[in-house]
Amino acid sequence: MRKRICRYPKAAGTAVGVLSLVLATALGYLFRRVGFSETNIVLLYILSVLITATLADGYVYGILTSVGATLAYNYFFTDPCYSLDVDNPGYIVTFVIMTIVSLVTGTLTSRMRQITYDARRREEETLELYRLTSRLVTVDEIQGIGSAVAESVSRFLLCHGACVCFDGDGIPMECFMQQIEEGRQIRRVLEDREAYVRRIGTLGGKWGIVDEFCEYPVRGEKGIVGVIRIPRQEGAGFQEGQLRFLDSVAKCMALAISRIYSLQNQMKSQQEMTQERYRGNLLRAISHDLRTPLSGIMGTSEMIMKMSEEEDPRYQMAEGIWKDAGWLHSLVENILSLTRLQSSPVVLKKEEELVEEIVGGALEQLRRREPEREIEVDVPEEMLLVPMDGRLIMQTLVNLLDNAVKHTPPEKEVRITVEKDREQDSVVFKVSDRGEGIAPEDLPKIFETFYTSGLKAADARKGIGLGLAICKSIVQAHGGRIIARNRNDGPGAEFIFSLPVDCANTEGEEY
Amino acid sequence: MTQYHETILVVEDDVQIRNFIAFAVKSEGFLCVTAGNGQTALKKLVSEQVDMILLDLGLPDVDGMEVIRRVREWSELPILVVSARDQDKEKAAALDAGADDYLTKPFSATELLARIRVALRHFYRNGPPKTQAVYQVGELTLDMEKHVVLSEGNPLHLTPMEFNLMALFMKNPGKVLTTSYIIKEIWGGSYGSDTQALRTLMAGLRRKVEKAPAKPRYLFTEVGVGYRMADK
Repeated sequence: MRKRICRYPKAAGTAVGVLSLVLATALGYLFRRVGFSETNIVLLYILSVLITATLADGYVYGILTSVGATLAYNYFFTDPCYSLDVDNPGYIVTFVIMTIVSLVTGTLTSRMRQITYDARRREEETLELYRLTSRLVTVDEIQGIGSAVAESVSRFLLCHGACVCFDGDGIPMECFMQQIEEGRQIRRVLEDREAYVRRIGTLGGKWGIVDEFCEYPVRGEKGIVGVIRIPRQEGAGFQEGQLRFLDSVAKCMALAISRIYSLQNQMKSQQEMTQERYRGNLLRAISHDLRTPLSGIMGTSEMIMKMSEEEDPRYQMAEGIWKDAGWLHSLVENILSLTRLQSSPVVLKKEEELVEEIVGGALEQLRRREPEREIEVDVPEEMLLVPMDGRLIMQTLVNLLDNAVKHTPPEKEVRITVEKDREQDSVVFKVSDRGEGIAPEDLPKIFETFYTSGLKAADARKGIGLGLAICKSIVQAHGGRIIARNRNDGPGAEFIFSLPVDCANTEGEEY
Repeated sequence: MTQYHETILVVEDDVQIRNFIAFAVKSEGFLCVTAGNGQTALKKLVSEQVDMILLDLGLPDVDGMEVIRRVREWSELPILVVSARDQDKEKAAALDAGADDYLTKPFSATELLARIRVALRHFYRNGPPKTQAVYQVGELTLDMEKHVVLSEGNPLHLTPMEFNLMALFMKNPGKVLTTSYIIKEIWGGSYGSDTQALRTLMAGLRRKVEKAPAKPRYLFTEVGVGYRMADK
């Protein structure tokens, strides 16, 4: 730690002043003996004033020495000697001018000294902040920031500074670092952290004194991220200059902390993304390899069914195989669709498709799986052209219809409705049923991947919760919205999604 | 039940599916020849008397399109392509290159046989040069000479283009017609591929022919590929 220049500035200043006057007087006598002109003696005294102003701390010593110089000159060197009287009134002018010159040069010199001191101080401050910033850039964990800040503050403000860091949730760390001496820090435990946070909160972001320390809260983007602590005795007398330094340090600290949290978040998202991608690739590879054998199983079991009579137990067993293989095949196709949709970027081939054709296609597909089911259809008279990936929207409809059919007894209605929403400039598709409805606890999560409700479906063959997640992915990729809710005009549920009708080019604008 | 004598060449690289198709086809009375890849298929085409081909689009060695093109160089025999679910472009391309219809895995034996029957029927019908005067599908009757279409006995008011489209469908019941094929037949080759115009025409026709346009009885949409009229 840097030492002050002198421990007793007052005494030193006085001593310098007196000493320089004495020297000037002594030299004056010498000059008179040798025969130099009186002007030289005057200049000697002015020199003594300059020396005092340079060496002493403050304006007052230079001023006092100026007055003392004039008096000394009067006393020792003007006739009559050894008295403050003057024979020649012309000397009065000399005294006045001499005093003025002394005062001016002395004051200027003191001022120069002060300015130089301030400039050097600022340079040190900048240097210290630069050092701190350089060090903070290399730190990669929170505790290191606390350590760097404590060291910097202690070095510049000549104190035993400490620094407390808060974690991402606004809770202070268990320990904080305090600077004991040059190059040595100790770790201290922060007692009663909850009470501490409360106390810091009451400070209102300003400098405040609490027990052992003066606390200086450091504000980040979302509230307090740390506290700089200075021992009470050392920090109580801090002036504007020191507080300004603390403020700069606080800002550096807040930046460094926010940087570390950003880095941590970034790493976490990257990890999550990599995991997702691995999982997606794995799923895709597996599903792809499963498709072909499943087709084979379905075909072969169907052949066995054909070869047996319906009452034959072999027929039943083959039918069981066929149904399960079919279910598995749907599942695999769903997984593949979903992984394709969730891989980025999503590639959609949008073309203008007729709504009635897509609906018709979906109904055909459903008829293959559930030939007995009658679905009611409500489509507007007019031709509705909507830009979409026809196959994907058809799949969405099939999934929704499949879902409705699974949860609705055969004699109850399942209906698909399409309407044009003129205000929103979109087309709204609705699949509604008079079935068991959606359990309230399922409603918020129903579109989540792999979410299945606790209730068993009608034929006890549950999905793995992909159908609706795929619907959501598809609709959102088209820039639309999808919701699920229970009907308010009776029992049953409805699933509603909308697709925007882009007005891509407006041809034929007339003036 | 008609006893078929045709030989069907089944080209499929997966053993299970190949066996399944062969079994289904044989139990229907057809004769069957199999091939596990494109090269073998082309060899067998030459060495055996083949009347119809079932071709998997996902063959390991040769592109399915290549096989279609080669066959079409010297024969009009029916070709059915088999593909996975999301290969719309490939299906449409295969159909445009000369395939007659397609099946999507997984398919049932029923579907397979239905498509085979339809394809064979077309092949034999288009064989003799004489074209029919009257076509019938379900309750629809199309009379080429009188230039009228009846639904359950009542005449439908169709525009000339709608009539042509209807005629095209009713001459090919049960068979898929790609969008580009229809456009070429109705508008002629110079029109380019304006699917919008076709959709509009289809929508108009559907409203006249079907009781419920969104729940078709006769005119089905094969999304991404084209359209198909019901077989009966």
